[in-house]
Amino acid sequence: MVVRLLPEILQNQIAAGEVVERPASVVKELTENALDAGASTVEIVIGGAGLDLIRIADDGSGMTREDLALAVLRHATSKLPGNDLMDVRTLGFRGEALPSIGAVARLTLTSRHASEPHAWAITVEGGRVGEPRPAALTRGTRVEVRDLFYATPARLKFQKSARSEVAAIGEIVERLALARPDVRFTLQTGDKGERVFAGRTGDGAGAARLAEVLGANAGTDLLPVNAEKDGVRLEALIGRPQASSGTVRDQHLLVNGRAVKDRQLMGALRAAFGDTLARDRHPVGLLSLTLPPQELDVNVHPAKTEVRFRDPGLIRSLIVGGVRQALADAGVSAVSGSSAAVLDALRPHTGGSTGFSTATPVSFNSGFAEARQAAFEAFAPAARPAPAPVADDDDHPLGAARAQIHATYIIAETPDALVVVDQHAAHERIVYERLKRGLEARGIARQILLIPEVVHLKPSDAEALCARSAELESFGLVIEPFGPGAIVVRESPAMLGDTDLKQLVQDLADEVGDWDRTRGLEERLWAVASRMACHGSVRAGRKLKPEEMNALLREMETTPDASTCNHGRPTYVVLGKGEIEKLFGRR
Amino acid sequence: MRLTLERSALLKSLSHVHRVVERRNTIPILSNVLLRASNGRLELKGTDLEIEMVESIPAEVATPGATTVPAHLFYDIVRKLPDGAQISLDLGPDQAAMRLTAGRSRFQLQVLPQEDYPDLSAGDFPTRFMIGTLELKKLIDKTQFAISTEETRYYLNGIYLHAVDSTGPMLRAVATDGHRLAQSQLKLPEGAAGMPGVIVPRKTVGEILRLLDDASEEVEVELSNAKIRFRTGGVVLTSKLIDGTFPDYGRVIPTGNDKTLEIDRASFAAAVDRVSTISSERGRAVKLSLSDGKLVLTVTNPDSGTATEEVEADYSAEPMDIGFNSRYLLEIASQLSSGTALFRLADPGAPTLILDKGDEAALYVLMPMRV
Repeated sequence: MVVRLLPEILQNQIAAGEVVERPASVVKELTENALDAGASTVEIVIGGAGLDLIRIADDGSGMTREDLALAVLRHATSKLPGNDLMDVRTLGFRGEALPSIGAVARLTLTSRHASEPHAWAITVEGGRVGEPRPAALTRGTRVEVRDLFYATPARLKFQKSARSEVAAIGEIVERLALARPDVRFTLQTGDKGERVFAGRTGDGAGAARLAEVLGANAGTDLLPVNAEKDGVRLEALIGRPQASSGTVRDQHLLVNGRAVKDRQLMGALRAAFGDTLARDRHPVGLLSLTLPPQELDVNVHPAKTEVRFRDPGLIRSLIVGGVRQALADAGVSAVSGSSAAVLDALRPHTGGSTGFSTATPVSFNSGFAEARQAAFEAFAPAARPAPAPVADDDDHPLGAARAQIHATYIIAETPDALVVVDQHAAHERIVYERLKRGLEARGIARQILLIPEVVHLKPSDAEALCARSAELESFGLVIEPFGPGAIVVRESPAMLGDTDLKQLVQDLADEVGDWDRTRGLEERLWAVASRMACHGSVRAGRKLKPEEMNALLREMETTPDASTCNHGRPTYVVLGKGEIEKLFGRR
Repeated sequence: MRLTLERSALLKSLSHVHRVVERRNTIPILSNVLLRASNGRLELKGTDLEIEMVESIPAEVATPGATTVPAHLFYDIVRKLPDGAQISLDLGPDQAAMRLTAGRSRFQLQVLPQEDYPDLSAGDFPTRFMIGTLELKKLIDKTQFAISTEETRYYLNGIYLHAVDSTGPMLRAVATDGHRLAQSQLKLPEGAAGMPGVIVPRKTVGEILRLLDDASEEVEVELSNAKIRFRTGGVVLTSKLIDGTFPDYGRVIPTGNDKTLEIDRASFAAAVDRVSTISSERGRAVKLSLSDGKLVLTVTNPDSGTATEEVEADYSAEPMDIGFNSRYLLEIASQLSSGTALFRLADPGAPTLILDKGDEAALYVLMPMRV
């Protein structure tokens, strides 16, 4: 057999296999080029889910005739001026995108550089490069990709449905748009009409862009996070726990302005939310990390969707710490709950005979019956009971309790809003936090095992676990090494009772690599605490006296994470006075 | 199949048999009870593929035959019939449904073919012995509370029955959940010598105990490596055994514990019960402070307060403090039957032995807690 160098067309098609996986990756590469060229507007037009046409026009610096001819060759790039892969300051740098696209599609590049009298165009079809020819374009660059994958029929066959391609393109554009709020993006996907992300600068540009991406649902009430540690800056906008999502789609991560995906960092975000979210819910938001280029490696994946950090632990702790702090600060002091959803539910009745039938009298058994009764008794002044103790105190973020409805919800009033509190959920969180604090303060009682449990693990896992034995002991689990690849459990948390220790230890071993805390054990303990909290708290259906309601509200204000119960459901929603006024057409 | 019988006899035996039938089944016939009429008797059989309960009661059989009907439904119907009713069961010639008639009540129950009903009783049972009902009850009673409910250590989900030679040949029952251990023994019955050590599953243990409540004086036990069978009165219970190795429990029973505490059982149990009122959580520890002639029990719950009780005790070794799970202490205390409980202790981190004073038949090992 003879060893030979593959023809260049084939080389490019092979490279295309990695870089140009689907229409969305073409959009990503070309849009990144536009951004690297300093564009302030990027127009993207898609036809036939990207397989028929992708056209991207920018108003960037453009290219000269010579550059144009070079640009379509492999490993030719204007980026990476210092020839130093450790110092990547542009989105692209590999010089692979254009030749790869040219190898599998009909590519036309039209560009005008300021130094040229007119624009030039060059065409690449299935890898065959044409000659530059004069063309008409006032400024910037326009890239047109037609008949994607016509040169690689196998790839064409394995494309997903048009709908999912369009969705993927939308997602790519969203991610790029999040990274550059100053650039105006337009995306036309044919059937769906046009999406416009307006270019903005100054304060709030990022938040406005994120709101555009997340939509009205989650994008309106975001918490800012700002943290810095050892030269790494974290700026983030995160949705409150109530605005969580069932998928991780609405989590966006930027590293030095590059949109990337990183499961570990998203895991850190999830961990920061902890038990404010139900198990299957995910936070939404945008995390933006800025760090010296030397601290990370972006040359991990051809599509550059992954990066590696020199010190992932630092990044993780920055995210967890920063987000936790922001959540704690937000506490209950600000407006919580998505008032848009509340408003939707409250739309006034416009139908004819729906709503209140006068035929059936409804007897309202309000928790304030006594007070109402008192109003009647006002004629006998001496008998009038004192009003609710803090009824008119304006200082409390959750306001003064006004009524209890359905023996389940507390209605409270603040100077500028109406608050509806789910009494069981709220009290459950309070009891839970109290239990947790108690357990943390006095330590967790350990049951010594009569028959110690030997658990076999991978030797590396066993070692890693034993290295953390002191931390585990503080949570009630005492382990010792038991020869290579095994540990023996001597004492277990008494709270867990007769539990599956083998499974517990294996879960801990799985986690110990990923996390810098042994969450599995904590989670299990807190799950027990959570069950106890559920039993020990005021249920729905229990009538509360005004004093009790106010006491509950006051306690919520001082309890961490009181805006969600320990199963992640919201404990209260707020309806602003302005929103109520809107409902009645006063504004 | 056609027969007539008295409600109370049918109800009593159905109440035994229907219990082993699971309410939800993926195999439809397992929801049914097998009825077989012949020679003036009706035999009822229920199974969950682990346990099989067979009971035979007298009946006026006009035509012998067999079928299966939904067990819980059948039981509920018979239960609601008036006391003293005569029930006639009739499986039509087409065998499609069983008619149940009692007074003016008439039911028609869907049947499944009796040929499909599983049979667990097959196989050889090389060991066979008789044991007194009360003795067997005591053996089980004193150990079953310590059976583990945690499913992964399946070999602890039952009582380990085996023959040992301690003070003469003994039949010994042991159960443990890894935190405590209970052991009870009696003189080895005739015929049990050379029996295999077997682990009797928890559900079976519960069923036997219920049967023993209205059993005759003696129970016949038959054993193989895989199954155990109990026969008493008209009832035969056959059960699969847990296929596993019971841990070498002898190693965890301490022998050198030199500190001895003797205490009145009733006042000890009452005191533990009282002081543990203050702890709400599961697994809350009670601290035992031992000193000359007395025992002080303490429970501290930062959320609600503390409880202390002093109990007179016979103790002369050096003073020590040791913590136990109050629930475990209570459960053991309630198993002891003599007036005085005997504790043998070593140190706050070592297993403690608890016995009835003057009765060596049962012993308990309890691991302390660290608080």
